[in-house]
Amino acid sequence: MPSLSYLIARLLQIIPTFLLVMVFIFLLVRLLPGDPAIAMAEAKATDAQLEQIRQNLGLDQPLPVQFLVFVKNTLTGDLGRSIMLKAPVSEIILARLPTTIFLALYSVVLAVILAGPLAFLAASRVNSPIDVAIRGVFQVGLSMPVFYIGLVLLTVLAAQLRWFPVGGYGKTFLANLYHLILPALSVALYTSAIILRNLRASLIEVLDADYVQFARAKGLSPRIIMTRHVLRNALVSTVTLLGLSIGNLMSGTLVTETVFAIPGVGRLMLEAIFARDYPLIQGLTLTFAVLVSVVFLLTDVVQSWLDPRLRQS
Amino acid sequence: MKRILPIMLGATLGLLAATSAFAIERGGAMTFARYDDSTVIDPVYADRNPDLWMVNGLYETLLRNGPDGSIVPGLAEAHEVSPDGKAITLTLRSGLKFSDGSDLTGADVVFSLDRARDANLGPWAGLLGAVDKVTADGNKITVSLKNPDPTIISILATFNTGIMPKAAFEKAAGATDQEKARAFFAAGPVTSGPFVMKSHVQGSSMSFGRNPNYWRQGEDGKPLPYLDRVEFLVIPDDATRILKLQAGEVDAAEFIPFARVGELGADPNLKMELFPSTRIVYAPINTREAKKDGEKNPLADARVRRALNYATDKNVLIKLVTFDTGKPMTSLMSAATQLHYGPEPLYPYNPEKAKQLLTEAGLSGGFEVKLTTLAGSADDATLFTALQQMWAPLGVNLKVEQVDNPTRGEKNRSGDFDIHTYGWANDVNDPAQVTGWLGYYKQRQAVGTGWNNQEFNTLFEASNAETDPAKRKDEYKRMQEIYAAEAPLLFLFETPFAVAVSKSIEGYVQTPLGANDFSEAWRAD
Amino acid sequence: MSAITQSHSRKPGRLAAFLARAFTRPSFVVGIVILGLSLALALFPQAFAPYDPLAFDLQAIQQGPSLAHPFGTDNFGRDVLSRVIWAYRVDMQMAFFATIFALLIGLTVGAFVGYYGGIADVIFGRCVDAIITFPFLVLVIAIVAVLGPGLVNMYVAITAVNWVYYARLTRAEIMAQKANDYAAAGRVLGYSDRRIIFRHLLPNAISPILVYWMTDMALAILLGSSLGYLGLGAQPPAAEWGVLIAEGRNFLMTAWWMSLMPGIAIVLTGLGFSLVGDALADLLRPKGR
Repeated sequence: MPSLSYLIARLLQIIPTFLLVMVFIFLLVRLLPGDPAIAMAEAKATDAQLEQIRQNLGLDQPLPVQFLVFVKNTLTGDLGRSIMLKAPVSEIILARLPTTIFLALYSVVLAVILAGPLAFLAASRVNSPIDVAIRGVFQVGLSMPVFYIGLVLLTVLAAQLRWFPVGGYGKTFLANLYHLILPALSVALYTSAIILRNLRASLIEVLDADYVQFARAKGLSPRIIMTRHVLRNALVSTVTLLGLSIGNLMSGTLVTETVFAIPGVGRLMLEAIFARDYPLIQGLTLTFAVLVSVVFLLTDVVQSWLDPRLRQS
Repeated sequence: MKRILPIMLGATLGLLAATSAFAIERGGAMTFARYDDSTVIDPVYADRNPDLWMVNGLYETLLRNGPDGSIVPGLAEAHEVSPDGKAITLTLRSGLKFSDGSDLTGADVVFSLDRARDANLGPWAGLLGAVDKVTADGNKITVSLKNPDPTIISILATFNTGIMPKAAFEKAAGATDQEKARAFFAAGPVTSGPFVMKSHVQGSSMSFGRNPNYWRQGEDGKPLPYLDRVEFLVIPDDATRILKLQAGEVDAAEFIPFARVGELGADPNLKMELFPSTRIVYAPINTREAKKDGEKNPLADARVRRALNYATDKNVLIKLVTFDTGKPMTSLMSAATQLHYGPEPLYPYNPEKAKQLLTEAGLSGGFEVKLTTLAGSADDATLFTALQQMWAPLGVNLKVEQVDNPTRGEKNRSGDFDIHTYGWANDVNDPAQVTGWLGYYKQRQAVGTGWNNQEFNTLFEASNAETDPAKRKDEYKRMQEIYAAEAPLLFLFETPFAVAVSKSIEGYVQTPLGANDFSEAWRAD
Repeated sequence: MSAITQSHSRKPGRLAAFLARAFTRPSFVVGIVILGLSLALALFPQAFAPYDPLAFDLQAIQQGPSLAHPFGTDNFGRDVLSRVIWAYRVDMQMAFFATIFALLIGLTVGAFVGYYGGIADVIFGRCVDAIITFPFLVLVIAIVAVLGPGLVNMYVAITAVNWVYYARLTRAEIMAQKANDYAAAGRVLGYSDRRIIFRHLLPNAISPILVYWMTDMALAILLGSSLGYLGLGAQPPAAEWGVLIAEGRNFLMTAWWMSLMPGIAIVLTGLGFSLVGDALADLLRPKGR
């Protein structure tokens, strides 16, 4: 495990990052044309009514004042009230976050299940027809926009063949596994293509490496070589890759949640942007920032646990 | 004649009974796929269509909008307007109860109407601006006005005057009305309408249950509604919503894109309902002398605006965008609106006339116009593509700018546009709302066009205090004539509300005002 | 061969040898053929498209694939094949312009912070962290909403986010190279920092970055078409694959060709980029690291 002082240093680094994120998102949402009052009144309010709404929301205050309020409230754990949903932001996010995390983890698991064994197969027979076929199929997955994969899966597997439900999500864990399989799959196809490419390359590299050749020469059983050397190394690179692609994963769930009607935070973010719901956009951004930071930190920890060489540095 | 009448009546009644009353089945549930979720279904705070179109499911008004657009009795069995037009007296039905079994009394009515007209609360208080005070004496309710207001009867049939339970609401936790409303609705509110809200998972699903104490009778002589439950699922993506219906996972899906109407109509398991609506699709034209950037605005000339209207082939648009489900506009308001006047479609396609008008305006050499459309809207993309082709022969170079909804709103309010797409559906069963919105300068600069016509403005102000219905009708006729001639809009088309419903569901209605009415829906399988 | 001479020995002969090696790989050949064809279509769409991509034919609305219209027609009777071909121009442009500035900015910034380290590196690190904590698509959508939709604004938005990834990669490569002997040798010889960075470090560090650029161009097409699908990218009536799929999404059952054909074009072009990128990655990977 990484040392405590390292972990503390990493956590301290997060503070300026978060401050930057806050300044950035605060300014960005206010640069967006239109404001919550306009978005909210659905164009039916008079100008005087709009002014009233702006006052009620505190939008008539100067920007620095608004920013200080934002920072002060955030520090006390208050993310404000959503303008669009008329409820506390923290409550809304807590209600929706589990669905998105479930979807993201589900798609990662699917991606690993899809790509893992096939990567081994491909790497063990480099440039054989099997290798070429596997890579070809996954290349196609890599070249398809998530919205298009979603559309195709929905039309063919759900609507035509009726194998899976169209959109929505279940109430129990198992029901969720069943309901979310298509959305998870459409995100997973892309992720699995990246994993496959990376895993195959690192497997080839490791299988070629001196210490593996040496172990082989020593007469170690292939199984021990596989678990002790090859698998461990392959895992390091895959974990790193997955950790780094968390942002991509979030973008993917955003599109999928819209196409498949899943009430997660990704779709909520899009809706919040279109409603100019400043508090909700800010709250969601901070949530994403926390999520991503945690994932990066976990990646570090897992990495150094899997790869002893990284522990010293 | 005398003999025929009773026979005809008898036959008609018999036919009615044969086709419906005996066939109606009670119980069961229907699942309805929506395009967006409600946030607060409070009559006062509802501010988006997904909210206000659901209010009547939970809260009954004193008067109701009848199927033919006339005002019919609701919680009040009778109403009377005083000769000076400054007082409305309503008589509550006897034995009215809320969903929790408590009595619905005059105190609840006073509470609800006072709440509805409190300008510090919701956005609709202005509709009750003429009200001076509301009092109750037993089952007699008196609404006193500061000045006569011909719209008030319609407002008493509008969702924002739905009757809420005073005692239950005041018992809800919270210091302010907003907090109380939130607590009240979170707990599963006590209601006066056909349904109660059983559960609501924000952004995902909602469940309505039957209100056993609802007052209206069904055709079988027992209280409405017929259904035990209505389940709502929120599916924003059009294609997914339809797939869900085709897969049989829901019983109905609203806002079917017109492109899919033909296909779903041919599905043997579905009925493609095209409910008549007050919805219009139009495009405000910036009529100010100068554009936002200071440049001279050719569209300030009414002849140019007329020319563009003539150059627009509405029938082709109706075919391409609405797949022949729409119809051309005949006035600023939809034909289904009260006091509508419009004997024929406005500006039938006439490129010759358009050319001639442009020449008169000194623009025979052509000019450039920007159309601001909604990003991601298939309809807007089609509209733009077609208009570009239609106007090109006149030398009008049409550019497109795609923006999201708030950006479009901002551009409209700051006058930073040439022409942009827009839509409207009435919320009130009265022409004043749409007319004030589209044409009255002092309200919203005539839907942001900057069109400021003295005669129109004076007529509008007069009509809002006019107690003589015949005079008011004349004023509306004149206003609609002026508006049509001045053309501050590109008049496009009226569209229906397209809802695809499973064959096993009968009686679901989306009203011309957009409200989802499940009170008389029933399951036939 | 010492490190110093290695970094100077970029002679044409080596490139030819490299290409000769590359062309023995089927995946590279297939990729190059696809990209070559795509480029040809993008440069000369008028030579390949059988019809005007914008011309209406209201008599021939949504006809299925036929000899006259191999990819069918759309809801205005426009020829889908011609629209898909003209879209090559827009989408290939997107692949290039959405990435090239990110590449250049990222290379420069990454090289400098990687070489100098210190406070610049710390500030850079925090900025990178701040930007990558946003989901990419959300950030791009927000920036496009601020600037207004359109291709140029889309390039600006993508570049504003994307340079970070190049910079991070470059920084890591430069730091690895810096530790090598030849960098120290350069400093001993009294070369200027600029010279060391641009003449010695960067040329040795650049191949993984160029490989990433290849795959990123495929990503740019995916992103650009996603934005087009959402109405935030290319503006109608211009043909762009995402826009074409969006136009066809209401007709998945009745006129499947409207969305399928542009979908195939996206996949094929993306495939071209990734095949070439993969092959290059394989070829450039140092043996026995």
